[in-house]
Amino acid sequence: MPLDYPMHRRTLPNGLRVVVSPDHTVPNVTVNIWVGVGSRHESPGRTGFAHLFEHLMFQGSRSVRSGEHFEALMAAGGRLNATTWFDRTNYFETVPTGVLELALWLEADRHGHLLDAVTQENLDNQRDVVKEEKRQRYDNQPYGTALIDVYAALFPDEHPYHHPTIGSMEDLDAASLADVHDFFRRFYAPDNTVLTLCGDVEAERGVELVERYFGGLTARAEPARPLLPQLDPLRGPVRVDRRREVPNDRLHVAFRLPVDDTDEFLACSLALDCVAGLSTSRVARRLVRREQTALGAHASAWGFVDGASIGMVVLDVAPGADPIDVEQALVEELDRLADDGPTEVELETSLAQAERGWLSALASQEDRADLVSRYTLLHDDPQRVNTYLDRLRAVTSEEVTAAADRWLRPHHRLTVAFLTDPESSGSAEAVA
Amino acid sequence: MSPARPAVAPPEPWTFPAPVEHVLDNGVRVLLHDVPGQYVVSLRVVVPVSLRTEPAGREGVAAMTARLLDEGTAQHGPEEFAELMERHGMLLGAGVSDGGLLVDVDVPQAHLATAAGLVAQALSEPAFPDGEVRRIVRNRLAEIEQERASAAHRAMRELSRTLWDPADRAATPAAGTAESVGALTRDDVVSFHRQRVGPAGACVVVAGDLAGTGALDVVAGSLGRWTNDDHEPAPSPVPPQPSADRRRVVVVDRPGAVQTEIAVGCPGPDRSTSHGWAPYPVLAFVVGGSPTARVDAVLREEKGYTYGIRTSFRPRVAGGSFVAQGSVRSEVTAEATQLLLGILDGARDGFTDSELRAGTDFVARTAPGRYATADAIADESAALALERLPVDFTTTTLRDMADLDPDDLRSAYRRTVTGDWSVVLVGDADTIVPSLDGRVPGPVTTVDR
Repeated sequence: MPLDYPMHRRTLPNGLRVVVSPDHTVPNVTVNIWVGVGSRHESPGRTGFAHLFEHLMFQGSRSVRSGEHFEALMAAGGRLNATTWFDRTNYFETVPTGVLELALWLEADRHGHLLDAVTQENLDNQRDVVKEEKRQRYDNQPYGTALIDVYAALFPDEHPYHHPTIGSMEDLDAASLADVHDFFRRFYAPDNTVLTLCGDVEAERGVELVERYFGGLTARAEPARPLLPQLDPLRGPVRVDRRREVPNDRLHVAFRLPVDDTDEFLACSLALDCVAGLSTSRVARRLVRREQTALGAHASAWGFVDGASIGMVVLDVAPGADPIDVEQALVEELDRLADDGPTEVELETSLAQAERGWLSALASQEDRADLVSRYTLLHDDPQRVNTYLDRLRAVTSEEVTAAADRWLRPHHRLTVAFLTDPESSGSAEAVA
Repeated sequence: MSPARPAVAPPEPWTFPAPVEHVLDNGVRVLLHDVPGQYVVSLRVVVPVSLRTEPAGREGVAAMTARLLDEGTAQHGPEEFAELMERHGMLLGAGVSDGGLLVDVDVPQAHLATAAGLVAQALSEPAFPDGEVRRIVRNRLAEIEQERASAAHRAMRELSRTLWDPADRAATPAAGTAESVGALTRDDVVSFHRQRVGPAGACVVVAGDLAGTGALDVVAGSLGRWTNDDHEPAPSPVPPQPSADRRRVVVVDRPGAVQTEIAVGCPGPDRSTSHGWAPYPVLAFVVGGSPTARVDAVLREEKGYTYGIRTSFRPRVAGGSFVAQGSVRSEVTAEATQLLLGILDGARDGFTDSELRAGTDFVARTAPGRYATADAIADESAALALERLPVDFTTTTLRDMADLDPDDLRSAYRRTVTGDWSVVLVGDADTIVPSLDGRVPGPVTTVDR
């Protein structure tokens, strides 16, 4: 039975897609904005720019001084932030009902009139902040750069998912004020944006308020290029070994997957759960519980829209165990699933966990609003939030087997291995 | 013409969702929060346990006991138990804080009864198979290495060791050290469980859409049957003893590190403080709770030295700490630490009316959203139970906040922040140590990574 969160959808004359999902259980409203620009739109030499730009959105606009966006909303009881990812940039705040109009006014000011306030000083300051963010989250973390290796080896040069959202230090250094102006004009426009209101507001009133504050913005986004065709599975296996000072060996085993929100992508995500995503997955039972050659096993499927998604299994190798043996065991389990398919219990378990996860994600207004924006921007259908579990339940055992056979065979894998370096020599690296 | 800047309408008064309270025949206290629309139900069990009662040299036995509860019971083997939980959509976590053992479960509404039954089994008749004990101990040893590798974890561990008296349990990680955990045997776990984990003083919290679940009967029929005749209730909590030489700087050497993790702290209040808890969340926000708070206005927005440094009061069941933590690029470590301590000490001079207003409004007006979901309500309710605070504590604290004036903030801050700091810097000692001279007070020692 589908969920029944209400979804009222309206497109304003300037192209802004508005969804209102009323929920009066808490006197709050979440404003969640997805702009159709992410790191996949960045040009060579400007990686990391979409994210740096996101930081500048907090540094003032035509009628708002630098820092005021945070300050004004927090002082009124708002919780807010923004994030950048491959396919989109997301701005959001959850505010008391009586602050909704202020939130919309502040958002409209920066989404319509950012360039009036951008300065070289703000750009330089936030460039420094973003570099510290990169150091904190990637460079100064054990295994922190593993995903950067995954993207680079899983996707061809020039592919939109070949580089990470955080970008490179060199490209961050190269970003100029002219780039900021150009980027804003190309991508920040109502016709490239979805705005979701979730919470204590009626549908008509919500649309009316959005129109009041965003109606004056003009449609001007550049036409979106068509999405790339589906990438075939990797012709592998491909291996990247990194010797690092890490606490234990860790294997990141990655696959290209079908694009997001397709039945085949859902089947792949269930297959990955059965192999290594559940605490009772095949790999967890075998390597973590019985053979005890792995400390932990995890799997995830990240859905993207531009020609490929990513599936990944992460294995922490137990001290004293051989990472080659651990990887070989995973290889056997991948083949076995693709040969024989999941058991009834495995499918039931994957669905039970997916259901709890999905309902938990929908439990808060802010996360629900985020999912509504996602399905509206990327798939043009907010109702998918309500029907997702039904679509997942409709996936058959045969479809899971077929998906594992086509996408998750061991010869389609990329392995990025972070290996402890007893010599601490630091940088001996091999790419095969 | 753009519309004019709209005014803000003040919110209606709000209260933390009140639980319905029961006491079961075995003495277990039950708090039920019916939250319509929350289809994933959160079940929490808290058992007062004092880590001081762990045998000497066996620190971590409480945490390992918690982690082993669901690794097999009298009725089900470890894999079978895991499968039962996972097939019913359960997610279970168990661990310890300084004041108790906590079991956290999230489960779809339809499976609440199954979940409660499995939790009751896990608490009352865990089997602690020897192989599982050895596996969980090995995993903890690996986890210790992973925590050592993380600059943020490493900094907090060193801060505890610097802040608290070496003989106090608080100076050692709650989940134990490599030495103490490595020494654990199945017997240690079995006897700790028998002696220290029982229904006396325990509290069960259930939050979520409880319509049609028969939640009280479900809990009474499962956790209400839990008995343990050997259980010795936990002693009353006492605050940790600060270290006599806590006013110093410890550099944890990470040769070549591109950033330095900074953690500075001092002893702080618990939520039962006789002066009232209301000022502390406001102070944490005003001093270091946002990009425009005092700390990041300088270190992030003016200097660009950090992605963010946050301040927090960290209450324990008794006592607590005040901590500022974040990372900066290596070459500015000394200057950033000096600026940070300057801002923290400078705040002893007091706060403005607008800071007070912004801070109280932020904390009070975000509360309805922060406590909107079943898991958030259950977590807060369980924490209050363990801290022996009344169920309306959250509501009365917010009410008290409305009456604060700048002098209240200043007095509360000065009671905690005396200018005596424990400073931990995790980074490249060769870069850091020579630059500290004269900029950061206290003797400097360097320890291995």
